[in-house]
Amino acid sequence: MSSFFQQKLANGLTVVVETMPDVSSAAAGFLVRTGARDETSPLAGVSHFLEHMCFKGTPKRPWQQITIDFDNMGSTYNAFTSKEKTFYFGWVRKADFDKQVELLADMMRSVIPPGEFETEKKVILEEIAMSDDQIDRHLYDIAHEKVFAGHPLEWPVLGSTKTVSDLSRDQMHGYFSQRYNPANMILIAAGKVTPDEAVRVAERHCGSWPSAGPRPQRTAPKLNTDGVTVAQMDRFKQQAIAMIMPAPSATHEDDETAEALAAILGGQNSRFYWKIVQAGVAPVAAAYRIDYCDTGIMMLYGFCEPPNCERLAEAIRREIDLVVKDGVKDHELQRVKNRRRTALATEAEAPYHRLMQIAHDVDMVGRPRSVEERLAAVDAVSTDKIRDYVRRWPIDGPHYLVSVGPRKWPTN
Amino acid sequence: MDSSPARYDHRRLPSGIEFAAELLPGRHIVSYEIRILSGMVAEPADKLGLAFQVEQTLSKGTAKRTGPELSDAFDAIGALHSTWAGRETLGFRCTCMPDFLDQSIDLAAEMIRTPTFPEDSCRVGIELAQQELTALEDDPGELSRKLMLKHAYGPILGRHAYGERETLARITRADIIDFWKSNFTPRRMQIVIAGPIDPNRLADKFETALAGLAATGSPAPDPRPDFSTGRWHYHKELEQQHIGICWPGVPMTDKTHPVERVMLSLLGDGMSSRLFTEVREKQGLVYWVGAWHEHPRTSGMIHLGASSTPARCEQTYRTLLREVDRLAEDLTEDELNRAKTLIVARSDTHGDMTRARVSELGSDLFYFNRPVRLEEKNAEVLAVTIKDIQKYLADHPRKELCVVTLGPEAAMAGA
Repeated sequence: MSSFFQQKLANGLTVVVETMPDVSSAAAGFLVRTGARDETSPLAGVSHFLEHMCFKGTPKRPWQQITIDFDNMGSTYNAFTSKEKTFYFGWVRKADFDKQVELLADMMRSVIPPGEFETEKKVILEEIAMSDDQIDRHLYDIAHEKVFAGHPLEWPVLGSTKTVSDLSRDQMHGYFSQRYNPANMILIAAGKVTPDEAVRVAERHCGSWPSAGPRPQRTAPKLNTDGVTVAQMDRFKQQAIAMIMPAPSATHEDDETAEALAAILGGQNSRFYWKIVQAGVAPVAAAYRIDYCDTGIMMLYGFCEPPNCERLAEAIRREIDLVVKDGVKDHELQRVKNRRRTALATEAEAPYHRLMQIAHDVDMVGRPRSVEERLAAVDAVSTDKIRDYVRRWPIDGPHYLVSVGPRKWPTN
Repeated sequence: MDSSPARYDHRRLPSGIEFAAELLPGRHIVSYEIRILSGMVAEPADKLGLAFQVEQTLSKGTAKRTGPELSDAFDAIGALHSTWAGRETLGFRCTCMPDFLDQSIDLAAEMIRTPTFPEDSCRVGIELAQQELTALEDDPGELSRKLMLKHAYGPILGRHAYGERETLARITRADIIDFWKSNFTPRRMQIVIAGPIDPNRLADKFETALAGLAATGSPAPDPRPDFSTGRWHYHKELEQQHIGICWPGVPMTDKTHPVERVMLSLLGDGMSSRLFTEVREKQGLVYWVGAWHEHPRTSGMIHLGASSTPARCEQTYRTLLREVDRLAEDLTEDELNRAKTLIVARSDTHGDMTRARVSELGSDLFYFNRPVRLEEKNAEVLAVTIKDIQKYLADHPRKELCVVTLGPEAAMAGA
């Protein structure tokens, strides 16, 4: 049975530990509460670019030494940036836990080496070019651009070719100084590591970081979920369509209800799978709820042959109407719970997967949640709650429709 | 990884099924795979895509249940399952709580033994595969892989799961049933399982549950790649140009395979690897670059891949090949040790996951016909020397290359 521990260091850095006695490895990561939504328009993409630059040089190490030290431990490591957070992590053998934290902590004090800045900018521009070749990225980015128009959640995480090209090292350094502040960061550890050991290691490698004021605040967005955007792109062969409606935030009491509804509509063995995919309408039809700290959206989407747009949209609407009219069945909901139970048991045996989940929980809920607690939340969802959900978070009312692909659809 | 030594069980069941188990006490889940030694290589040349159709329709109905009922039955016990159709294998994998293991085996066996391949599901399966071919056009990474396989592996091993539009149009329900009957036989079946289990009891359980499969059938096909040297460019309006380079490597069972494994780790495993360092970090030419090998059952192929905007493509290509050559010239002990540590440490940490263990065991049976202890594999990796790498590179020069590019520009003078 695993257990949690949480402590704040004097400089404001929070340390969260999950001790997993049955495993032989340990994972560690620094969660920085900063992402695309914390950027200003001219700086769009700076959080992600900065994540790359944290691998490029520290007071103690040139960039080559950072990656050499990771690889010398045989670490499974990386970093990612999202709309709301940047996360740096490594998964190592238990004996290397201290070294792993030291290296990650060193990266959090990046010197953002000027000599590496322009070279890494080229890498980011290649990443943007790669992303531009993916139809699903266009769908996701356009959906955010329209639904969150006027709020920083509309920026793509990668930024644009223009904002990244125009970004200076000094601008990035200013952002870094403001955001990589202990009060805005969390060190997370999971695996065969004790709380004492984790705190000792944290004090040793992060205790001297200066505190820099309170955690920066965010403003909640106002959603625009009534409209249509057609992005005609002849280069793609399929049409991607999405219907987007409001959904609860990650901290809302309807959190698990929203997840269950998305799974019943468009997850594995779902209504969309049997009624849309297995009817031959489209190879992909799914429901995906995207949760942020203070808002959320439900995306019902699919990819189809361009002439099938109408059939796909009609089929999605038909399934929405059935859920609104008749609700969901007990056995449908039970299936979701059963799958979740096994998935959580699977997650519980890998420090890496636990690290990712804890990062989500401490970022959103403010504390880690045990597998048992999450299971209890899932078990508390009922068919009545789902019926109530669709009244309070209508999925059959106004929504934003995004269509991307070679066809100009809908035409009006 | 468990602190106690792993315990393996390996046997041939009376029906002819090959069975292997790894006992992992203390785990809270069980994972298993049922692998059929047949895949795309067993498709008739005029019906490419057939193996994928069999895999897709296998779960759409049994003698007892409809497709949705079968899926519901798996979900009722929380059994997370999936199927695959590969070059030389078709398979089913499942993870569940130990209490539901027997029920999940019964369901898996029902699906494998008594599929009904409903007419509607077979028709829709073909329609969806045609649509997947359209979707493939929007996935440049997978599309360039498909094109590379065609040239580097030849007409049999280079097949793609979705088939081709004209071959899909020829596939009938009768073809699907014939493929199932002739390939889903005990002698072509391997089962691997890992978790807190009793191997003796489970060997009996699988044997009983799968009883009744036709004992006939020819041996599994064993084709070799039909490698073509050359350069091919496929035009597509993209922001980036995708570059694939391939040449023959060694089979998994070759004594120099661990050397090849370390060599590829030096090239492309970890951010301190040569390709990542030289192509991405020093020159900023790409976001994605990689080096890996793929293994048909009795052969091996080496791949390098990258994608970059057209103006940087030629420099990327030259750098990729230069780094392979440079390995023979200036490899250091530190670098070698790092590559070896990377392989061994990752097998240790990932071994905490039961699913990773069963996947490893499945691979052992497929290639070596026996479970191979992690310690044995790691010892082979740790024994690799600089001289071994140099000798490997001398014995397997990258002279004969298959180069495939996909993107907006054909020009690549260095290629």
